[in-house]
Amino acid sequence: MTRGGTVYLVDDDPGVLRALTRLLRSSGREVQAFASSEAFLTAHDPAAPGCLVLDVAMPGKNGLELQRDLAAAGVDRAVVFITGYGDIPTSVRAMKAGAVDFLSKPFEDSQFLAAVEAAIDRDLDSRRSSGERRAVEQKVASLTSRERQVLEHVVAGQLNKHIAADLGTVEKTVKVHRGRIMRKMGAGSLAELVRMADLAGVRPTPAQPRAA
Amino acid sequence: MSQGTRTSPPSNIGRVLPVSWLGPASPKRWLVGRAPDGWRAALLVATAYYLGAKVGFAFTFQPHPISTLWLPNSLLLAALLLSPVSSWRLLVAATLPAHLAAELQSGVPLAMVLGWFASNSTEALIGAVCIRRFCAAPLRFDSFRDVGVFLVFGTFLAPLLSSFFDAALVAAIGWGQGSYWQLVRLRFLSNVLAALIVVPFIVTWASGGLAAVRGTLSRERAEAALLASCVLAVGIAIFDRQDAGSGTPPALLYAPLPFLLWAAARFGPRGTSTAILVLVLLAIWGAAHGQGPFVTSSPEENARSAQLFLIAVSVPILLLAAALEERRKAKDALAGSEERLATAFRSSPDPMAIVRLADGAILDANARWEVMFGYSLDETAGRSAEDLNLYVNDEDRKASFERIAKHGGIRDFEVDVRDRAGTVRQAVLAAETVAVGGVPCYIGTFHDVTAQRRGEREAKEQSKQLTHLTRVALLGQLSGALAHELNQPLTAILSNAQAAQHFLATDRIDLGELREILGDIVAEDQRASEVIRRLRTLFKQGETQVQPLDANDLVREALALAHGDLIARNIEVVTELASDLPAVKGDRVQMNQVLLNLLVNASEAMSPNEPGGCELTITTALTAEGVQVSVADRGPGIPEDRQRRLFEPFFTTKPQGLGLGLSISRAIVTAHGGRLWSTNNPDRGATFHLALPGHAEGRP
Repeated sequence: MTRGGTVYLVDDDPGVLRALTRLLRSSGREVQAFASSEAFLTAHDPAAPGCLVLDVAMPGKNGLELQRDLAAAGVDRAVVFITGYGDIPTSVRAMKAGAVDFLSKPFEDSQFLAAVEAAIDRDLDSRRSSGERRAVEQKVASLTSRERQVLEHVVAGQLNKHIAADLGTVEKTVKVHRGRIMRKMGAGSLAELVRMADLAGVRPTPAQPRAA
Repeated sequence: MSQGTRTSPPSNIGRVLPVSWLGPASPKRWLVGRAPDGWRAALLVATAYYLGAKVGFAFTFQPHPISTLWLPNSLLLAALLLSPVSSWRLLVAATLPAHLAAELQSGVPLAMVLGWFASNSTEALIGAVCIRRFCAAPLRFDSFRDVGVFLVFGTFLAPLLSSFFDAALVAAIGWGQGSYWQLVRLRFLSNVLAALIVVPFIVTWASGGLAAVRGTLSRERAEAALLASCVLAVGIAIFDRQDAGSGTPPALLYAPLPFLLWAAARFGPRGTSTAILVLVLLAIWGAAHGQGPFVTSSPEENARSAQLFLIAVSVPILLLAAALEERRKAKDALAGSEERLATAFRSSPDPMAIVRLADGAILDANARWEVMFGYSLDETAGRSAEDLNLYVNDEDRKASFERIAKHGGIRDFEVDVRDRAGTVRQAVLAAETVAVGGVPCYIGTFHDVTAQRRGEREAKEQSKQLTHLTRVALLGQLSGALAHELNQPLTAILSNAQAAQHFLATDRIDLGELREILGDIVAEDQRASEVIRRLRTLFKQGETQVQPLDANDLVREALALAHGDLIARNIEVVTELASDLPAVKGDRVQMNQVLLNLLVNASEAMSPNEPGGCELTITTALTAEGVQVSVADRGPGIPEDRQRRLFEPFFTTKPQGLGLGLSISRAIVTAHGGRLWSTNNPDRGATFHLALPGHAEGRP
C-alpha cells in the first residue's frame, strides 16, 4: 500500500534515518532518505510531489539553511522539522519560514505520521492550485491585446459604454470582445471570470473619473 | 751559657723576677702582631733578655767563672714561640742592644760579644722553628706529644747544635780558657736546664695564666698556696739549709718529688712548671752559695751534678703533667659533648627515644615522647615498641629497625604510630645509631606530621572537589547537546519499535525486516548506555587513576562528548591526528575534562555569522616536550592583556562563566607534569596547547 507523495527524509544520524524510514514505510509511505542536505539537493526533483522531513542540526548545510535555499530557488516543498534540541527560537524561525510542523525527538509515531500527512496534503494542495493557475494563465495568454485590455476593464466592474469611451471605440465592439473573452476563458459567468482573472494575476483597470 | 766564662759579680737574686713580666703580657695581642704591639713585645723581650743576662751572671759559681743558669736564650725562645713568625725578625733584632748592654759591661771583646749573640739567637731560632714545624697546635705543654717535641728540639737539639757553634766561636776568637769539648758540655747543660724551666713557665703563664688564676675557686687557691708553701719549705730545707753536701742523706734529694707530683696532678703544666722553676732556683741558689747537697767538690762539679739532677727530675715531671692534662681535657671534652647531647635530647621539641639495638628495648625517652605516646618513662623503660604496640603496621617497625641496624641510621621514614589511648598519628622517623655506655643503641626522633598531613589531605580534597565542580559546570553548559546525544538513540529505538508494531499489524510479516529492527534497537540502546556511562564517569567524583592514555583517543572521546554542541553551533571540526604517538600517563576523566573545556571554549569563541569563522582544528603531534594537543579556533583571538590573566581563577569573559575552567585545567595539566598555554594564530583566532610528557614504555 503506497500512498501518494514521496517523503524526503534528511538526517545526519544513520540510526535515526533508518528508523524513520522504516516507520514511514510501515505506514505505506514512499521514502527517500539522505544523510545530508547536500546529498538531498543533488537528487531532488522539485516537480515530484511529496514533503521534506528535515533534521535541524546537521554538519554542513543545516536544516534551516536548506529550507531557506529551497525557498530562494522557488521550490515550494512542505517541510516537517525534527530536532534533538527542541529549542524555542529555532522552532519559531522554522515555523515563520513556512514549516508545517516542528517535532522534538523522540516523538510518537502518530504525531510524526500526522505531521507528514499534513505536509504531503499541503504539497498536493499547492500543486493542485498551481495547476489551475497555469491553465488560466494559458487562457489569458490566448487573448489578443485588445481583449486583454477589455478584460482588465471588465473585472474592474466597468460598464460597456465606459469601456468603449476609455478605449476610443463604440459600445457594440466592446460587447463583441466581451463575448469572445467569455468563450476563450471558458467562463460561465462574470463572477467566474473575475476569479480566473484574479488567479492569473490580471490587474483590474479602475474607472476613469468622468465629467458629469 | 753563651758565655763560656763570666767574671761579673753575683747579683741580687731578686732580679730573677723580671721573667714574670712576660706573664701579664697578653699572648693574644702578641700573636696579632700589629705594629704597636710588635714594638711593645720587642721592648719587653729586650728588657727580659737584659735582666736574664744579669741573672745569668748572678748564678755564677764562685770562684769558677761559669754561669749555671743562662736565661736569655730561653727567654728569646719563649718569646718566639708566643709570637707570629712575621715578628721574629723584630724580636731577635731587639735583643741585640740588650745583649750588647749586658755583655759589654763585663769587659768581653766585641767580637766575642757578637759571636755569642749569633749562637744565642741561633739556638732560640732552631728551637722555635722545629717546635713550630712538629707541633700541630701552638705549644701549650698540655699534650704529651708536644712536650716530647719541645724536649727533643727545644731543650736538647737546639742547645746541642748551638753549643758546638758557640764553642767553635770561642776557640776561634781565642777568648777564655777551657777545651772545646769542655765548653760544649758546660754550655749545653746550662742551656738545657734554662730551657726546661724558663720556656714552660713563660709559655704556660703567658697563654691565659692570669685569666686562669682569676677563674679559680677559693678552695683551689688555698690548695695552691699550701702547695707553694710546701715547695718553698722543702726547697729551702733541702737545698739552702744544709751546709756540706757530703753529709746529706741521698734520700732527701727526693723530698721535693711528692710536691712536684702534687703540682702535676692538681695544677697542670702551669703549676708544674712554676714549681720546677722555684725548686731549680732554690737549688742553684744553694749550690751557688755553698749550701745544699750539691756542694761536694769543685764548683764546676757542683754545677754539673746540680744541673743533671734537676734535668733528670724536670723532664719526667713535665711529661707527666702534660699527659695528665691531656687526659683531663679529653675527659672534659667528652663530658661536655655528652652533656650537650643530653640537653638536646631532653629539650628537643620532637619526641625522642634511645632504643637498644639488641632487643629494641626503649632505654630512655624525652618528655615529648612521653606526651606523644602517653606512656611515662617508668612504664616504658626496658619495654620495646613492639611490647607497647606503638606501630600501627608491624611491617613498618620491622623495616625501620632492620634499616637502622643495617645502615646505621634512617631518614624520613614515614610511619603511622599509635599512642596509649589508641589514637593513630602520622610521624616521620629519623634515627642514628650510637653507643650509650658501650651498648649499641639508636636515637630515634618521631616528628609528628599528623596536622601537616591532614592539611595536605584537606587541600587535596578541596582541589578535587573544585575540579569536580568545574567539570559538572562544564557538563551543565553542554546539557542541551548531551540531551541531543541521548535523544538520537531514543528516537531511533522508539521509531524502530513502532515501525515493527505497524508491520505486525498488517499481517504482512517480514521476519528479516523484524530481525534488522531488533538488531538496530539493541545497537541504539547500547549507544544510549554509552552516553550515560560516559556522563556518569564525568559526573562522578572519583579518585585520580593514572594510566597510559592515547592522546588521539582522548581527542576522539572529547569530540564525541561535544559532538552535539559542535553540530548545534554549526562548527566544522578538522582533526589532524599524528600516528605512532607515545602514551601519556594520566587520569582519563581529568584529561577528558581539560580537552572538553578547550573544545567548548573554542566553539564559544566562534560566531556562525562570520564567513569561514566556524572551523575548529584539533592537532596532535610529538614535540620535544612530549605529546602535544592543540585546539585552534577561528574566533577573534585573545587580546594581549587577557593572555596573561586567562588562566587565573575567576577570570572570565562569559556572562555565565565561573572563570574556573582554564585555571582548573591548567592545575590538572601541571599535576600531570605537563603544560597548558595559549597563543594567537597568525591570521585569526587562538590556539590552546596542551603538552604532556610521553612515556615510551607501554602503549595504551
